[in-house]
Amino acid sequence: MSFDQILSVSGLRTYFYTYAGVVKAVDGIGLQVNKGETVGLVGESGSGKTVTAQSIMRVVPTPGKTVEGEIEFQGKNLLKLTESEMQHIRGKEIAYIPQDPTTTLDPVYSVGDQLAEVIMRHQPVSKKYAITKAIELLRNVGIADPQVRISQYPHELSGGTKQRIAIARALSCEPSLILADEPTTALDVTIQAQILELLTALKDKFNLAMVLITHDMGIVADTCDRVTVLYAGQVCETGTAEQVFGNPKHPYTEALLSSVPNLALRKKHLSVIPGNVPNLIQPPSGCRFHPRCSYARKVCIDKDPELESMGDGRIVHCHRWKELDLKSAVAS
Amino acid sequence: MNQEGTSQTAEPQSARPHGVSQWALAWRRLKKNKTAIAGLAIVGAFVVMAAFDRLVALYPPRCIVGLSPSCPSPDFVSNGPPTLTHPFGTNIDGYDVYSEIIYGTRAAFLIGLGATGLAILIAVIIGLAAGYFGGWMENLLMRVTEVFLVIPFFLLLLVFLQVALKFSQFSTGGIWIVVLVIGAFSWPGAARIIRGETLKVREFEFIAASRQIGASSWRILFRHLFPNVLHIVIVLLTLQIAASILTEAAVSFLGFGAPGSNTWGQQMYTSANFIADAWWATLFPALFVTVMVMGFNLLGNGLRDALDPRLRE
Amino acid sequence: MYLVPVFFGITLLVFTIERLAGDPVELYGALNPNITEQQRELLRKSLHLDQPIQVQYLSWLSDLLHLNLGSSFSGGSVATLIAQRIWATLELQLLGLTLSLMIAIPIGITSARKRYSALDVTITSTSLIGTSIPIFFLGVAAILIFGYHLHWFPSGGFQSTLPSQYPYGSLLLDQLWHLFLPATIYTFAILAPVVLLVRSSMLEVLRQDYILAAKASGLKDRTVIYKHGLRNALIPIVTYVGLYFGGLLAGAPVTETVFNWPGVGRMFVDYTTQLDFPVIQAIVVIITLMTLIANLITDVTYAYIDPRIRLE
Repeated sequence: MSFDQILSVSGLRTYFYTYAGVVKAVDGIGLQVNKGETVGLVGESGSGKTVTAQSIMRVVPTPGKTVEGEIEFQGKNLLKLTESEMQHIRGKEIAYIPQDPTTTLDPVYSVGDQLAEVIMRHQPVSKKYAITKAIELLRNVGIADPQVRISQYPHELSGGTKQRIAIARALSCEPSLILADEPTTALDVTIQAQILELLTALKDKFNLAMVLITHDMGIVADTCDRVTVLYAGQVCETGTAEQVFGNPKHPYTEALLSSVPNLALRKKHLSVIPGNVPNLIQPPSGCRFHPRCSYARKVCIDKDPELESMGDGRIVHCHRWKELDLKSAVAS
Repeated sequence: MNQEGTSQTAEPQSARPHGVSQWALAWRRLKKNKTAIAGLAIVGAFVVMAAFDRLVALYPPRCIVGLSPSCPSPDFVSNGPPTLTHPFGTNIDGYDVYSEIIYGTRAAFLIGLGATGLAILIAVIIGLAAGYFGGWMENLLMRVTEVFLVIPFFLLLLVFLQVALKFSQFSTGGIWIVVLVIGAFSWPGAARIIRGETLKVREFEFIAASRQIGASSWRILFRHLFPNVLHIVIVLLTLQIAASILTEAAVSFLGFGAPGSNTWGQQMYTSANFIADAWWATLFPALFVTVMVMGFNLLGNGLRDALDPRLRE
Repeated sequence: MYLVPVFFGITLLVFTIERLAGDPVELYGALNPNITEQQRELLRKSLHLDQPIQVQYLSWLSDLLHLNLGSSFSGGSVATLIAQRIWATLELQLLGLTLSLMIAIPIGITSARKRYSALDVTITSTSLIGTSIPIFFLGVAAILIFGYHLHWFPSGGFQSTLPSQYPYGSLLLDQLWHLFLPATIYTFAILAPVVLLVRSSMLEVLRQDYILAAKASGLKDRTVIYKHGLRNALIPIVTYVGLYFGGLLAGAPVTETVFNWPGVGRMFVDYTTQLDFPVIQAIVVIITLMTLIANLITDVTYAYIDPRIRLE
């Protein structure tokens, strides 16, 4: 693990053992995050983004289980820690901002209660101190009248406010890594921009590393240093934002980029990726994208490609990346 | 991203997924549900017992073993313990307990189905009306239901039965009185639940669509609303059968039942005084009540899991 | 509050049902032929039977509101009769409910946390079966075994008839000895549905996002499950238990008959057999009132647990 690296995930496999079969939600994912950088984790619903984050935090809900992989964080393999040791990492070293702000706060406790309990869990401080700190946190995330808000209940607050509180909770113990799961998806468009701005500002201010999970390429372009594209539980490619956006090496990335509505390009019609999201209980053979890939060849059906490194952190998961000359629809 | 872009018109029919009917789906889930299968097996066994009671029993009904001419057997034994000739022993009158229990099965079904039929009928009407029409009707119906729910109906049941059975002109009706009274008091709980479901279903778009194309309220109620609350009605029905049988057993056990009806509860009552010496005469009927109630309860719970549209895991 | 119209509705309903049956004195007289015509006249007067039905109802209602429960047909003040027995009923019911909750909640939580495990399956199936076992089966069987045959406990009653029978000469011990079996069996009898409810409520709650978020914040398991999980799960549990208690009270006649327990329920059976209407009416109203109070307590508790309700 290089000096700058704060998180390194490799070979992660998390399966869900359901009545219908084994759902291979995450099947061989790798991810690298360096200190202070924002890595975007992009993919459609079902690509395994959330499950990856949950696996890192080791809060995968039953019937899920991480069956294989290595998650190195600050020199420790998280998958080998005891539950008690893991509890000291969660919320304190790595924080998770869940997807839906409306359901992420316990409805029967006040805002102050919920923030304070996290603070008191990780630091030996009094409740009074914790509440004071909580009020300050609310102010930092841009909530007006924090002293009033602190004793209010979640149902009295708007979605945007709740998301800010969730962010405040995540930052409350000064973690070094934040996993933000679609922080803006559940919000109004006008609030989305504010929240993103807030996140970026806070990240810069405290020099945090962040994994930003999203399906919105626009957000990735705006905020991320590096990007990992996921499809059906596997990585398609990884690289810096410029590299992936300007010079995609995986057909799925190319397709994603060309399906982004962009008035400036004045396209005649939106391209669509044909086909359906694959069934993760019985994924397609070989490369999981092959049924929808316009460049698929026989080898793609037979064999699962390797994760090949192009050097300097650029990684591709495709048989034909060397031969394909993919065009980015959004290259400037 | 992937775009499948056909818009869908709201269909003025029950919300069925295309292709597989809801019932076929439910049946499949039911088969997988162990509770439901167990319940069904138990109920099935009792149905057989009731249908072929003469064949399954050892002696003719109500015959005093050893004394009546129609009762072939060894000797008259009163309160005799279980033996080979009397697997569950005999009671104070000399009847074979096992046979009497078998003959009581039909009565149990009668009570279960009769009282439940009445109760659920009332509950459906009130629940649907309250849920669909809303306004003052809902208010009135729900207040009435609440009053009924708070009143200890079991107590009133005892009073009513005592009056009706002991000496009014209905005393020959016996078991029908019991059926009627239990049914008349058992609807509030179910009505409340049905109303809840109606409120949910009412919000479905196809109801609004129906109204827009001019369907009358009654039509909507029966053709659209009712089929969609049917799943919960079935569950309630099954559970109510269990409850009715249980109630009758309790009522008879206390001595308020119809004397000639020969239900299991009645059998318990006649033998209760001798329980110290002849526990079998009371306990075996009680056991059968337990098992039959259990059967319907298991079936009802299994049905609830199988038919609940939310529980898709 | 809406309690007032409900109370009126109840009294009206009880009164109506009772009068539908016929002339109370006639009915009573039919079962107790040894009362004289003179006594019948007296009883009729006391119930105002010579006056129109509204007057009868209203006079009863006003009596109730003045806490006058009248006199039994067979003599004796109803209020006194009830007062003598009510403690026994309350003792058994409250003890049963409290113990049942204390046991059911941990079991239900464990079952929910270890869903699909062998333990969970055992608990769930046992509880499902348990919901169907009527008290007259469980109770009678237990009394037979532990009371009559093993003689570990008395086979019924509230306390021994002679002080010489008290264990170690202590009245308290004697009462506890008599209370043990009924309380234990009763607790087991009502345990099953509560366990199932706790389990299903916890399962529903543990699936929620805020539980995952709490866990992801590093909170201890115990904190997540009990502080966040249980409090939210209690909401439907409290509602159900409130209603259930009403049902339990109504079932007191059976319970008390099975255990030969001298409470208001057993009293009801005795007096209903005689069709002694003043007593019957009074007991019905009292039990209804207790149910109403239970509902009220439920509502208050509910509002305490769930801040979303408080605003209403």
